[in-house]
Amino acid sequence: MITIHVDKIRKQFGSTVAVDDASFSVKKGRIFGLLGPNGAGKTTTIRMINYIILQDSGTITINGMKVSPKTQKMIGYMPEERGLYKKMKVGEQLLYLARLKGLNSTDAREKIRYWLNRFDASDWHSKKVGELSKGMSQKIQFIATIVHDPDIYIFDEPFSGLDPINSELLKKIIIELKSAGKTILFSTHRMEQVEQMCDDICLFNNGKVVLTGNLRQVKKDFGKNTVLLEFEGDPSFLDHLENVRMNNRSNNFAEIRLLNDQDPQSILVKAMESVQIQRFQLVEPSLNEIFISTVGEDNIKNMEVLTN
Amino acid sequence: MNWRQIFLVLQREYLTRVKSKGFIWATILVPIGFVVFVGIVFFISIWESDTTFEIGILDETGVMAEALTELNPARYVDYSSLSADSLRSLVQQEEITGFIQMDEENIEAGKNLELIYSGSGGIQLLTSIRTDMREVIRQERLRRANVSPEIRQIYDASIQVDSRRLTRTGDEQDDDTIFLSIIGMIMGIVIFGAIFSYGGYVTRGVIEEKTSRIIEVIVSSVKPIELLTGKMAGVGALALTQFTVWILAFLGLTAVMGPVAAMVMDPAEGLANTELSEAQSEIPALLDLPAIDTSLFVYFIIFFVLGYLLYSSLFAAIGSASDSETDTQQLMLPVGAPIFIAYFIMLHTWRSPDSTLSVVSSIIPFFSPILMITRIAITEVPFWQIGLSILLMILTFAGTMWLSARIYKIGILSYGNSVGFKDLYRWIRQ
Repeated sequence: MITIHVDKIRKQFGSTVAVDDASFSVKKGRIFGLLGPNGAGKTTTIRMINYIILQDSGTITINGMKVSPKTQKMIGYMPEERGLYKKMKVGEQLLYLARLKGLNSTDAREKIRYWLNRFDASDWHSKKVGELSKGMSQKIQFIATIVHDPDIYIFDEPFSGLDPINSELLKKIIIELKSAGKTILFSTHRMEQVEQMCDDICLFNNGKVVLTGNLRQVKKDFGKNTVLLEFEGDPSFLDHLENVRMNNRSNNFAEIRLLNDQDPQSILVKAMESVQIQRFQLVEPSLNEIFISTVGEDNIKNMEVLTN
Repeated sequence: MNWRQIFLVLQREYLTRVKSKGFIWATILVPIGFVVFVGIVFFISIWESDTTFEIGILDETGVMAEALTELNPARYVDYSSLSADSLRSLVQQEEITGFIQMDEENIEAGKNLELIYSGSGGIQLLTSIRTDMREVIRQERLRRANVSPEIRQIYDASIQVDSRRLTRTGDEQDDDTIFLSIIGMIMGIVIFGAIFSYGGYVTRGVIEEKTSRIIEVIVSSVKPIELLTGKMAGVGALALTQFTVWILAFLGLTAVMGPVAAMVMDPAEGLANTELSEAQSEIPALLDLPAIDTSLFVYFIIFFVLGYLLYSSLFAAIGSASDSETDTQQLMLPVGAPIFIAYFIMLHTWRSPDSTLSVVSSIIPFFSPILMITRIAITEVPFWQIGLSILLMILTFAGTMWLSARIYKIGILSYGNSVGFKDLYRWIRQ
């Protein structure tokens, strides 16, 4: 069953086309990754799904309904640019945000109490957000996103700016939401970070959808054509390899994508001549690699961002 | 537009501010300040004539010194027995403030008198000495001319113009033009200040939501136009709360002020009898304020609300296009300018409320909130002018709100670039 259906949407700001004829579907109960470099059009797309800005053409439906203030209430949204009213107390603030999402005060209060307890944050109820540490206010932000218990969750670059503890907490929440049958869509430019979490993906580049589908299937289609090499010794032999692309390279590690049916054995031979091999593994390509080979190196706007 | 959402926003805007210490203090301190101000004016009026300036009279006519000391014994002293030089040294030693030498020529030939003095006392002293001198010389001349008492009486009579207002309905009222002019000016100034300060609340509120980055969370639940409306209404409700408290405090204080002042006066028996009676006659003039028509307060609220809506919609747009308060300055100029122009015209209007400039400017929507209320307070403004100005303000507000909503909805999600008028124009067209 399809929860979010995006059909041929387009959005233009002045002369810039931010999203161009993008289509994809998010299935119920799955984790969907919207991936691509910064400036690819992910946030614009997410804002249109959230009915914050309107598309110039195309349609977006949530559970079959066109996006509207009504569909907004079915979504818990955590934007990339996030924050809270600094001078408001935690409890009042959560109550306000929950009521804006359509809850009545009684239900809202009960849910707020539940979630504050869950995060060991009951003591913060009467504290002003400005008095909280950054990590604490991030937790309050999570609660603000999920307090009205929607069926759909959208996180825009959720892990950027989170401390490690809260990153783990958020991952846990996402997995937990999924097992409760909720639908989750999140965007990120750090592809390696989310490989383990996503069921389905959609790759964005320059406002266009370049690839979408089930992550396992996508990877399978690309075949086992990537070598992971771990070694000790002088890494300069890597520069002399032909018909390959280096994706992730350091002094004792390399992720090598084989091009033009290059035989992995020949790489092993060359490596053995120059260094001490500690690991040699033939694997499916990483999402990064899939993205690069789909759009072509020259077409990526923000290469640096993508690979670091 | 979803009214529930607007109401929730309004409620938040109102409650977070009305509970803030700054608001509570301002609401309390202004009436206290008013009492203190009136109190100061009151006590100044009682002890005004505390210091006396002694003026020596070197009289060669034999009549003037007596007439002057009779007129004001505290001020004029007969020093005719001394020489001009010794009087000079008295002034230098600051024994006396100054002296005047008088002879027959001053009376008969109208020669100018000369006051030699240390320079203290100011204009008030000079004016009153001048009046005294004219008075005694005129009296002496009349006496010498053997004018009959009837004619002297004619000269003594000082005719005053009492004014009474005849209203359209045929009532005659005591004329309070001077009092009402001051009220009109105060109301104009209050609206001028209120538009800026509450408009500032709106601007800062919009910027706060941008800088704290909560705005996108909010607009994922509320339409920008609902947020804007709720915000303006919330701050507007705050303003009305404050004004209601102030108006009630003003009415209450003016009602009790008379009796309180009378109580204060009783223990002040140390004052000389004449001074006391003089002071008592001044108190009613100061404290027995003419009643202000309730309709004037109603108009005040109407014009404030419309002016506030008109300008705060623009202030909100400015806030949405800025990342910080310092960013607002460039954009603030064209919005602030009409308020200042209206303020300067008001400084003319309160003295001449029916001049063409006053009438025409008071109908221009951006000036009306300040100028029309000043005119309504002071003069009989034809109803069509009031009605027209209200209608034009409502229409203009519809326009500014439309404009503002278009800028606001894009501005709140734009960060980083300093926005100019070109960008605003593009946003409006988008």
